[in-house]
Amino acid sequence: MKCEQYEGLFAGWINNELKPAERETLEQHLNGCAACREELASMQQLWAMMDEVEVPEPSASMKTDFTAMLNDFKATEANKKGSSAGIRQQLGWLLQWRQKWPLAYTFAIILVSFGCGYLFFNLKGGSKQDKQMADLTTQVHELKQTMALALLENPSASERIRGVSYTTEIKHADKEVIDALLATLNNDPNVNVRLSTLDALTHLAGHPEVRLGLVQSITTQDSPLMQSAIADVMLKLQEKSSVKSFKELLKQKDLDHGVRDKIKETITQLI
Amino acid sequence: MNSLADNTIMLKVKAGDLDKMGLLFERYHRPLYGFLFHMTYQRETSEDLVQQVFYKMLKYRETFTATGEFVHWMYSIARNTLKDQGKSLKQRVKHENTDDHTERLSGGLTPEEQLEKKQAKLGLYKAMEKLSDSHREVLTLSKFQELKYQEIAHILDISEIAVKTRAHRAMQELKSIYEKAER
Ligand SMILES: [Zn+2]
Repeated sequence: MKCEQYEGLFAGWINNELKPAERETLEQHLNGCAACREELASMQQLWAMMDEVEVPEPSASMKTDFTAMLNDFKATEANKKGSSAGIRQQLGWLLQWRQKWPLAYTFAIILVSFGCGYLFFNLKGGSKQDKQMADLTTQVHELKQTMALALLENPSASERIRGVSYTTEIKHADKEVIDALLATLNNDPNVNVRLSTLDALTHLAGHPEVRLGLVQSITTQDSPLMQSAIADVMLKLQEKSSVKSFKELLKQKDLDHGVRDKIKETITQLI
Repeated sequence: MNSLADNTIMLKVKAGDLDKMGLLFERYHRPLYGFLFHMTYQRETSEDLVQQVFYKMLKYRETFTATGEFVHWMYSIARNTLKDQGKSLKQRVKHENTDDHTERLSGGLTPEEQLEKKQAKLGLYKAMEKLSDSHREVLTLSKFQELKYQEIAHILDISEIAVKTRAHRAMQELKSIYEKAER
């Protein structure tokens, strides 16, 4: 075997992680290869020297800062519960319902739709009723938005995807929705959720803050799937300000080869 | 082992007992700070990032599933937080505290030995600073955070073999930077 094939074992050796069989394989090679012996010895020496590298002490205020942050967080959580707990709880009920009795859920939705339709035709008329109708529309809208935001926080990835798709039904997405989507885009652990979020945000690209958020997200995504999907979106949106971020991304040494080519291509087409 | 208890505590946080995060802060703010310090070389930024990581763990507590270890989840969030900050960190002022950091060398050595040791240590410190981020990251996690390659694989979401190869490349790069500077 060539020397490079033992490289993985070097890392295990210095960290004391080799299994007996691996150790034996490496030792056998070392016996006959002076170059590797030398290389490993100097690596081991450097590894030991790293023990001396110190990290400065964190300041004493960290604990106080943490406590303040925690109290702040608890206060906002309590607030959130106070204002929308009712509606969220009801939504929770409705969603549970859907899982347990899908048919009943469907009927409920149909009933609500009929109800809205009935109201619509009956309220059609005087200006006072127009206002009521507008209020009703606003309420339905708010309901959709609350439902979408609640689903985005659901532990199940498929529910979060559902939440993302609900946001596309909201006509005038406000800052809360946009922020929630951008946070999901950058932090959601599931790549499928992030992909559908990217899709939803693309529909909202009319908002300057969405475009900015998308551009900023380029360098934070480490999945090749996401990197290449964002490249597609930027090309579609003809977002020239993304070129800088893409160039930044190209500097990452462990970037996927396919993605690298694609991004180079995207940059050429954008300039 | 702490690990079982860590997950149990985090599950309590997830269930709504937010105060329990204080226990995890006690346990992990130092190692987390150490990791972030090696990734930024800025004290204040690192402290600020520690708070941000704990804030995100509170905010996204629903995403903690306890299928893996709490620390892996924590470091994954820390990495994302670092990436979010990436742009502003690029303009970082390096060597912020290289000097006072090397002052604290122990006695018991002759002045010459002390000087020599101090210089070697400073050289290694500076060499580490010059490493590429992904190389410094893997070495920090294995050497300073004392994580196994398999654990690092979870955190970086790559294979264990890829972690070992990266660690080896990182050591090669560190060696060459260090030797170049010493010469
Ligand atoms: Zn060899």
